[in-house]
Amino acid sequence: MAGPSGWRLAMWDGAMDYTVHDSGTLRELEMRGQITFEADTDFRTILAGWEKAGIADCVLNLSAVDYMDSAGLGLLVMANNAAKQAGIVFRLKHPRGQVRDLIEISEFHTIIPCEF
Amino acid sequence: MSGGPPVVIGHPRPSATGPLRDVLGRLGVRRLTVVDGDGLAQAVADATAGSPQLLLLHAGLPGFGPDLLAGLREMAQLRDVPILVLGRFASGFHRAELMRAGATDLLARPLTLAELSARLSVYLERRRLDRSLQEVIRSLHSYHHGAMQRMALARQMQLGLLPDAAACRSLEGRYGIAMDSHFESSSELGGDLWGARPLDDRRFALFLCDFTGHGVAAALNTFRLHALLARTGLPADDPAETLRTLNGLLVGLLPEAQFAAMIYAVVDVSADRLVYATAGAPKPLVRHRDGRLEVGPSCGLPLGLAGEARYRNHCLDFPPGSTLLLFSDALYEARGWDGGMFGYGGVTDLVQGLGDDELERPLGCMLDRYFATVPRLLADDLTVLWISRSVRPRSGPD
Repeated sequence: MAGPSGWRLAMWDGAMDYTVHDSGTLRELEMRGQITFEADTDFRTILAGWEKAGIADCVLNLSAVDYMDSAGLGLLVMANNAAKQAGIVFRLKHPRGQVRDLIEISEFHTIIPCEF
Repeated sequence: MSGGPPVVIGHPRPSATGPLRDVLGRLGVRRLTVVDGDGLAQAVADATAGSPQLLLLHAGLPGFGPDLLAGLREMAQLRDVPILVLGRFASGFHRAELMRAGATDLLARPLTLAELSARLSVYLERRRLDRSLQEVIRSLHSYHHGAMQRMALARQMQLGLLPDAAACRSLEGRYGIAMDSHFESSSELGGDLWGARPLDDRRFALFLCDFTGHGVAAALNTFRLHALLARTGLPADDPAETLRTLNGLLVGLLPEAQFAAMIYAVVDVSADRLVYATAGAPKPLVRHRDGRLEVGPSCGLPLGLAGEARYRNHCLDFPPGSTLLLFSDALYEARGWDGGMFGYGGVTDLVQGLGDDELERPLGCMLDRYFATVPRLLADDLTVLWISRSVRPRSGPD
């Protein structure tokens, strides 16, 4: 559940949902579920919210994401590019299981900083 | 409103149909045919090339009755046309008989012109909507048929990118190997591509590539890659350099968030080894003669993401009697009937579980078992390559 400073968005069955935690100019997005092509709309919502909120750093917490496919990696690329353009520092955090394997095999941590 | 097909009026005294014609005219009917009953069926056939919009019959027509209605309904062009009967109907039985024989509705007199107009407009509008719907359905059928033909042609073209049976037999004979492959797209077209080609008498190259997504967009990327691979000047015998070169060509060519996972391997049958590099591709699997499985490492940015990406060569023993298995991630990311992911462990279990008696068609046996636990409609494109080194001496030159 979202903490006192967070709020929950975009809940639906079998897909992805996330919670936003803001602390000053740092935004942590706690992702849950699966990051696949279906998460495209969510990601675009996330990106659209960055600049409005005056965010300087954004961390994607992946610890509760149990599956990500190559389309999900594509969304990370899109988010990373959007962050660069907006002057936002974008990072990944705590991938687990299949998601961690995928990031390591694809060496995504070499283009998006990732705290394992 | 346009004229459209005509409305046919059957009336014993055509000269008395003025009010009817006025009502229909106000409802937008521009084409009217009035017949007096004699040879009504022939008049309908002559009056319209196709079907009329509506047939309005006066119950006082000579010979009018259930038999006449049934006869009209048997005409192909009147099968779906509203047939309305205007008149006085003596009994419920008579009305039921007319309806059974083919009348769409009975307009019982006395009837004001306003009521007549309201009743007719319902059937005219319904007929117009029905014809529009039929037209839309015909158009969709036609589009679908054309699209399927184009897709079938495109699929043939995509299958034409893969090594054909003759190319595979040639490699088998030259290098003392047995090759088997499975290529299954999740829709008509897919984003996977594999290939193999000789380098010299002791080495051949092998690759498997999986573009993000599936369907037409991913398939177009496979054609791009195929064209790039056909370029001379690729350092084909150095997997890491080959991937680096391909990556350099694909960066800027692929749209944002599209990329390719690829493994490129060089098999050296003299040195009994395999040198390969990966770009986000699944780990390769070698099944040794004693049944032991070896999982090769895999690391490297997918192709098309970053121009500065560098790749590393890895080496695996690949002696006679061993088997190399390469596959796209759909093999282990697919979900079983229980909803759980098949997993890489599921793949190793599957390969390890194959008995020696199944080695005649090992890939077929493996996939039979796989599809017993995974629903056939895959969410992603699946490619599996099975390369076994023969224990017999090679037929080709060394």
